[in-house]
Amino acid sequence: METLAAFAPALPEIILAAGAMVFLMLGVFSADNARTGVFIGWLTVLLMAGVAIMIGTGGAERVELFDGAFVVDAFSRFCKVLILGAAAVSLMLSFGYFERERIMKFEIPVLALLSTVGMFMMVSANDLISLYLGLELMSLALYVLAAVHRDSLRSSESGLKYFVLGALSSGMLLYGASLIYGFTGTTSFTALASTLQAGEAAQNLGLIVGLVFLLVGLAFKISAVPFHMWTPDVYEGAPTPVTAFFAGAPKVAAMALLLRVLHDAFPGMLFQWQQIIVFLSVASMLLGSFAAIGQTSIKRLMAFSSIANVGFILIGLAAGTQYGVSSVLIYLAIYVVMTLGSFAVVLAMRRANEMDETIGSLAGLSQTNLPLAVAFAALLFSLAGIPPLAGFFAKFYVLDAAIKAGLTPLAIIGVLASVVGAFYYLRLVKIMFFDAPGEAFTQAEPAVRWVFTLSALLVTFYVVYPAFLLDAAGTAARALVP
Amino acid sequence: MIYSAIVLLPLLGALIAGLFGRLIGDRPSEVITTAFMLIAAGLSWFVFIETGFAHDATKAAIKVPLMRWITSGDLEAAWVLRIDTLTAVMLVVVTTVSSLVHLYSIGYMHEDDSRPRFFSYLSLFTFAMLMLVTSDNLLQMFFGWEGVGLASYLLIGFWYHKPSANAAAIKAFVVNRVGDFGFALGIFGVFFAFQTVSLDEIFRQAPDMAGKTMNFLGYDVDIMTTLALLLFMGAMGKSAQFLLHTWLPDAMEGPTPVSALIHAATMVTAGVFMVARLSPLFEQAPMALEFVVLIGAVTAFFAATVGLVQNDIKRVIAYSTCSQLGYMFVACGVGAYTVGIFHLFTHAFFKALLFLGAGSVIHAMHHEQDMRKMGGLRGKIPITWAMMLIGTLALTGVGIPHVGGFAGFHSKDAIVEAAYAAHTPGNYAFWLLIVAALMTSFYSWRLMFMTFYGTSRADHETYEHAHESPPVMLIPLYVLAAGAVLAGIVFAPSFIGHHLAEFWGTSVTPDKDIMHHMHEVPEWVFWAPFTAMVAGFGLAYLFYIAQPELPGKTARTFRPLYLFLLNKWYIDELYDFVFVRPANALGRLFWKGGDGAIIDGTIDGTAASVGWATGKIVRLQTGYVYHYAFAMLIGVALIVTWFAWPAGIVK
Amino acid sequence: MIIGLAHYLTLAACLFTLGILGIFLNRKNVIVILMSVELMLLAVNLNLVAFSAFLGNITGQIFALFILTVAAAEAAIGLAIIVVYYRNRGSIAVEDINMMKG
Repeated sequence: METLAAFAPALPEIILAAGAMVFLMLGVFSADNARTGVFIGWLTVLLMAGVAIMIGTGGAERVELFDGAFVVDAFSRFCKVLILGAAAVSLMLSFGYFERERIMKFEIPVLALLSTVGMFMMVSANDLISLYLGLELMSLALYVLAAVHRDSLRSSESGLKYFVLGALSSGMLLYGASLIYGFTGTTSFTALASTLQAGEAAQNLGLIVGLVFLLVGLAFKISAVPFHMWTPDVYEGAPTPVTAFFAGAPKVAAMALLLRVLHDAFPGMLFQWQQIIVFLSVASMLLGSFAAIGQTSIKRLMAFSSIANVGFILIGLAAGTQYGVSSVLIYLAIYVVMTLGSFAVVLAMRRANEMDETIGSLAGLSQTNLPLAVAFAALLFSLAGIPPLAGFFAKFYVLDAAIKAGLTPLAIIGVLASVVGAFYYLRLVKIMFFDAPGEAFTQAEPAVRWVFTLSALLVTFYVVYPAFLLDAAGTAARALVP
Repeated sequence: MIYSAIVLLPLLGALIAGLFGRLIGDRPSEVITTAFMLIAAGLSWFVFIETGFAHDATKAAIKVPLMRWITSGDLEAAWVLRIDTLTAVMLVVVTTVSSLVHLYSIGYMHEDDSRPRFFSYLSLFTFAMLMLVTSDNLLQMFFGWEGVGLASYLLIGFWYHKPSANAAAIKAFVVNRVGDFGFALGIFGVFFAFQTVSLDEIFRQAPDMAGKTMNFLGYDVDIMTTLALLLFMGAMGKSAQFLLHTWLPDAMEGPTPVSALIHAATMVTAGVFMVARLSPLFEQAPMALEFVVLIGAVTAFFAATVGLVQNDIKRVIAYSTCSQLGYMFVACGVGAYTVGIFHLFTHAFFKALLFLGAGSVIHAMHHEQDMRKMGGLRGKIPITWAMMLIGTLALTGVGIPHVGGFAGFHSKDAIVEAAYAAHTPGNYAFWLLIVAALMTSFYSWRLMFMTFYGTSRADHETYEHAHESPPVMLIPLYVLAAGAVLAGIVFAPSFIGHHLAEFWGTSVTPDKDIMHHMHEVPEWVFWAPFTAMVAGFGLAYLFYIAQPELPGKTARTFRPLYLFLLNKWYIDELYDFVFVRPANALGRLFWKGGDGAIIDGTIDGTAASVGWATGKIVRLQTGYVYHYAFAMLIGVALIVTWFAWPAGIVK
Repeated sequence: MIIGLAHYLTLAACLFTLGILGIFLNRKNVIVILMSVELMLLAVNLNLVAFSAFLGNITGQIFALFILTVAAAEAAIGLAIIVVYYRNRGSIAVEDINMMKG
């Protein structure tokens, strides 16, 4: 019994994994129809909510498990709650859509649950092996989710592209991991950190190449330029709720993993990885902002927007300080809210059971559906970083962290990129409010309406009580960078 | 708990009516917001009695933390409710008038088709005002300050399909920005000088700061004087003092209950409240206080003169408000803060009564506001007449010195006495206030006579259909009338009399000397306002009852003076000439020259190159997996080369 | 000639490069891409095992075992997605996978 009790810190993962198995069995032995799917979907949401509450109310001290391969601390708690929130909300958004498309299968929530377990593993990884296992568990489930609309060419093409490039990226990540192992003799983050602190090791070119390959694998998952190419196609091709799922939880998990690896395993190579991150950050911000201007599909636009946002998040990471980490976490939390809200709006863009995801179909939305237009405008203003909305503070914290860390040029590029970014966000607002209206959208289902309303309210009123998020992110950052 | 409930119930009401108003319907929205306000008002009176009559001269303010807000470097601000006597007085004023106005509006607005929005705004305003008066730091005060500004903007422009209402709303907003600019600078300055925005901490440090200087743009300026003047600038904007008063009369475009709540009883008194709240700070800046007296006295005089000739029933009362606010500032300026707050307290009752009464008249006359088209209404709407009469008696300060009288008598005469006791140069403040009192009496009675007496000048149909308002509108009038009669005589001993010290506790620092001296002025000073009041009444009676042709004759004889007053001293025209037109011209210059030629040129060029870059990047996204893989590979190669190059492996 | 660590690493690097080249030079069949991925993973495993033997440290071999397991799952999922794609498109030529672009 004592051995079992020692696994208690990993209980959230165990519960989620066991839940996935149970739901899978439940689904297999129930009638194969949409009702089973929706039922299991809500069970999954409930399970996620329960686990989130369990994590949120649990202890915050650092515990290592499985011979140090798995770690639970305030940082992992923060990210896990965020991941669960993002995953549960995007699942809730999906049921109506899948039912209408007649592909509501119980496998969808089970796959989402499995990928969530993978994300948990990533967030808690303290060893290159657990890092790889978590990453693959998440990715394998996501490949399937992207292709889940089996009769749609776009969906299967997006799944295929995601799979091929994902496999390439994990190959690179593994190659990097093997080099790191070879040059240090260990895969444990803690041991890596102490080995690298020792001195000369950090100058070894083989090790640096290993680090580069490892980072490339992770940069693929967060879709940082130039490892982003899959993002627009997969976002466009995957069913919209799946895209919403992709844009939220996996981004948080991969970014958290990146933070964990760089700050826990490679603090001794700060000088090297900082240069890589700065490069990725600048490239992502510029390419994301410029490419978004040329888009006509709102899902592709969101893809490039997420690339640009990743660039901003990387600014905070490049700072390499505790403040930088907390700014990244704040940005992630606000970004998740804005993204899920925006995708809820996209899900509401439906006329007579036909999704219309072109930007043009938003024309004159303020006259046909004012609440939707106002909510989307709030989210877009926030994404554009206009004070006093939440998105402004998100950008402010990362830029502030960069300037405090002496990366002023990076911060200046960030500001310029956000000006370009503001252009395409505000163009959408202009289209919604000043263009001649088209046919009205069909009334969206309640879950979708709740999500876009709540997220718009959250970004609008974040300024009233920022202390909650600041405190939580601060505590999490202290756990990672003392 | 009680304290939080008072502040948060209006917010809750505003949210319910605002977000779900359409869902739950008009009547439930009205009932919910009004019920919440009535509860808040009841609780406020409880708090008022508990706080003000605790018989403890050393009591400290109660702090109710709601939640943390901003912590950034030295700047710490939390949402905290500060409850002391000054706050309690304001709570009572705000919630009482607000709940009565809510109730009244159910009747007044019953024909309007967006009532949930109206009630939501009213409650929102009340919430912001309560945040203002309960603030424990300057930042929260600023939040409330801007919140009431916003709500005022929304309510003035409530009938947004009327261009004049929109223009008035924008004017109020812009003129207030001028004041708020000063206020914001003042807050920055306070933070700069004191390293904190917490009131307690500021008050503790204020005496040490007196006389110190700081360098500003190369000049050494006295810290306390500068800060006090900047903060007072905010008060001038919000309280419509001379030079920044122009928005208040125009604000009468809003629905009449709004005028009663915002532009008579509460928001416009925020400036007075702020000066009283920051009295420990102002006490260290005697020069700034002299300026406060000057502005107050000039406003009291100026607004009264303009009020003499206005024909719109609401505008007369608006100028009267402006003038009475001047009185309050004079009291604060001479150090008699408690007297100023007392006048604020009594004024809230009788001015709200006058506005709501005027609303009742307008309601009866089918939204006619021009007094020249009224007259003879006493028989048609007797209850409204009686209520307006009480309001007028209170405003003009009817009462017998040393005996007692209506509410306005106690507070206004106390201000006049304080002004005399303060010995301003040539006693200018005292004399301006006396003349203003005479004119107050004149225009108030002029309003009464033109509206209710003589023969009707309305068209026959309107006059015949004039009807008394429904009970839901009259009940608030009764309550306010009771306040207008009794507020003075009941509360004078506590507010400004013998129990002053134990009533106020530590919430304001009244200048002990002035409170003492104002009771020992010569006997004729006590009788001067009384005489002025009677003289005003006599003149009004002569002009509008005894010899109705006299006003026209006088206006023709003194035509330049009449036009000067009718056009409000030409201040709007002056502003138009000095600010608006040059700004327009400058704007046109920038627009045509700067914007059109230089910026648009640059931007168009930039936009074109952005388009070019976008096109290139989008073309990169070919859709082929092997191109994507290739891009990744190039990325890896670039990064590896970047590190390999300095290591000397790649040459 | 003694076969040392360097030889293993060079071989692994060659295999890895071949795998990558296979992914982006191949225009014909997606199955080839799957094979290339397997090749890359093989190279990594070779690396790990060689390092493990060289360092006298078993972690590398454990890592290699995990990779083998995951690679099997990955191949299964990859093949399943290719089947789905073939049903919709009627072709699995890499050149034909470009419906979405821009």
